Amino acid sequence: MIDAIKLRILQGDPIIHDVRNASLPKLFRGLPVIENKSCANECSRCVEICPTNAISINPVKIDLGLCVFCPLCEEACPGKVIHFTNEYKIASDSRESLIVTNGTNTISVEKASEKIRSYFGRSLKLRQISAGGCNGCELELNALSNVNFDIGRYGIEFVASPRHADGIVITGPITQNMAKATEICYDAVPYPKIIILIGTCAISGGIFQYSEETQRKFLEENKIDLFIPGCPPHPLTFIHGLLDWLDKK
Amino acid sequence: MISLQVQNNQPFRIDEIPFLNKSDFVDSVSEGLSNGFRMIGLFPADKNVTHKIISLLIDPDFSSIHITGGEFPKDKLEFESFANQYPQTNYFECELAENYGYEPIGHPWLRPVRKQNIILGNKPYQFYKLEGDEVHEVAVGPIHAGVIEPGHFRFQCHGELVYHLEINLGYQHRGVEAMMLDTKNNQRVVLSESITGDTVIGHTYAHCSVIESLTDTQISLRAQVIRSVAEEFERIAMHLSGLGGVANDVGLAIVSSSYGRLRTLVINSLALLCGSRFGRGLFIYGGVRFDFNDENVKQIISNLEIVRKDVSAINKFLFSSTGALTRFENTGIVNKDIAQQIGLVGMAARSSGIETDARINYPYGAYRYFPVSLITLPSGDVFARARLRALEIDESLRFIFEQMENLSDGEIKSDVGSANPRSGIVSIVEGWRGEIVHIAFTDSEGKIIQYKIKDPSFNNWYGLSLALRKTAISDFPLCNKSFDLSYAGHDL
Repeated sequence: MIDAIKLRILQGDPIIHDVRNASLPKLFRGLPVIENKSCANECSRCVEICPTNAISINPVKIDLGLCVFCPLCEEACPGKVIHFTNEYKIASDSRESLIVTNGTNTISVEKASEKIRSYFGRSLKLRQISAGGCNGCELELNALSNVNFDIGRYGIEFVASPRHADGIVITGPITQNMAKATEICYDAVPYPKIIILIGTCAISGGIFQYSEETQRKFLEENKIDLFIPGCPPHPLTFIHGLLDWLDKK
Repeated sequence: MISLQVQNNQPFRIDEIPFLNKSDFVDSVSEGLSNGFRMIGLFPADKNVTHKIISLLIDPDFSSIHITGGEFPKDKLEFESFANQYPQTNYFECELAENYGYEPIGHPWLRPVRKQNIILGNKPYQFYKLEGDEVHEVAVGPIHAGVIEPGHFRFQCHGELVYHLEINLGYQHRGVEAMMLDTKNNQRVVLSESITGDTVIGHTYAHCSVIESLTDTQISLRAQVIRSVAEEFERIAMHLSGLGGVANDVGLAIVSSSYGRLRTLVINSLALLCGSRFGRGLFIYGGVRFDFNDENVKQIISNLEIVRKDVSAINKFLFSSTGALTRFENTGIVNKDIAQQIGLVGMAARSSGIETDARINYPYGAYRYFPVSLITLPSGDVFARARLRALEIDESLRFIFEQMENLSDGEIKSDVGSANPRSGIVSIVEGWRGEIVHIAFTDSEGKIIQYKIKDPSFNNWYGLSLALRKTAISDFPLCNKSFDLSYAGHDL
């Protein structure tokens, strides 16, 4: 008993109190910024080097739904037009808002409908489905429940059964072998229900957009409520996105 | 045995591999297996020439890899199965049958590896079934009760006791090996980072070593040390995560959350080095992208000092708790004999008393100059698999502190040329879970024509099945967490 108390004292106060203004290491690659500079003549190095076709030029645009946040484009750009900042607030409720252009300083989340907020604003239970996720996103989702991020304090929790859930959280590009299970799981969630996509693979297929083993029909047939980009997304990106969407302090 | 003998990361020419006829091939491979070698691969060297396969066996005593080729008649892709005598080859033969249509004659248990609903030997696959009074079957998955990856488990039980557990995987199959052939250089590193998100460093290390060996690229000592330090970061982080998991499964919440807190410190340290908590973006062909400097070294050292101090207090609490030890000891035993027969690797093998560690048996990179100690425990139960991880954390911390205090100077990147034609390479890395193997072959223009990946989970899932025999089904979560295997790494 004494030893358990000692362990508790050793824990100290590891929780991140202010999740809205936490600071991440300066090397962390979050929101990319596109400088107001013109590109060198006919330069398309960023487009060629990007492993997931996330970049288009004239003008330069980066789709965070496709971006795997590797530093290749930043390295390749001769005019230093693209650089990553450590801004982690990059979640959005619309796919279009994930496209970063010159002048994009923030990515924001529109409030959910009043019905959703009144149903889920104080308690949101989610069922996670790993549909080809490499376990990177899964580790970060698990980290949400640890003593640092403690998502339980906002009434958000991951549950075991889809019957107990208010929505599903999908990680991974949805493999053919998981396509049916994903549908069955979603069907088992009672209405009203939401879908959240976690990570680049779920949002666009990411690096697996070239794979022949994926089956993404489910995502075309259903409305997606929230997109959390990243490879994998930082836990704070998830928390921030959900709190904004549910309009909590 | 007739074979080409190479070392870890030693390039060779495809033409040097002896290709034997069927019966000589079977004899030669059997001889190797009878010498106590372990199989790490069985597949065609060229994906499109399926009637010519190679077998790769490793000899831990002499750090060598034996490669033997076999040429089969194109219309008769069959051979006598090795698996009845050497169970370790069982799953490799299943994989060969599934991917290339071979028939291992007399195979004891031909089953699907990654594909669902496939026909093997003219009939759809059926799970084993226990019959009799008061026996029952428990089916779990693919979606499990938690934030984890998918897989299907069938337990054949009598009362509380499990008599057989069958594990059916493949739900995570994304076609990584096929994509390795078709994608561009700049995509391959990102792809190898996504083989398993919990072993980013391990798999990317193996992949970069493959490309660097094929292109005869020398890596500076400083870059090698940074790679190894990152690998030990990953080992510590995932061992902390696993220990937190087993503590949680026996109801010790304070221990579990304490390990979780320390893991955050470790992965945040990795982010101080390279911007990603999992080490994504750190590796490039020819070295590493990010370097240690006075500022990040200072912060990382101070983080690790906390880990070193606190982890010993937490370990002491966990491993002296009678409640935890009662659950850990004699639960889910895989003894040394069985572990050797089925070819367990990595920390699970070391917990069954097998002396195997790629960092020592097949040294690579910085481990050639700065060795680590081999740690084994004899009991093969949950206790051993948990305790071993605690001991490995101490050893990894020692390695990191030693290296970070004595970093050599030098560049961290070397130039990479083009790949040698008609060459092959085997790269072995000891990830935190165990032995990771990447194997590649090139054609006459240096283009990669075959890429095989073997995650340690490929060997060890069967160990979990056997650990559950005559074990209470309520102990499954604990056994599962003690093995801590990857679905994505197996399914690829």
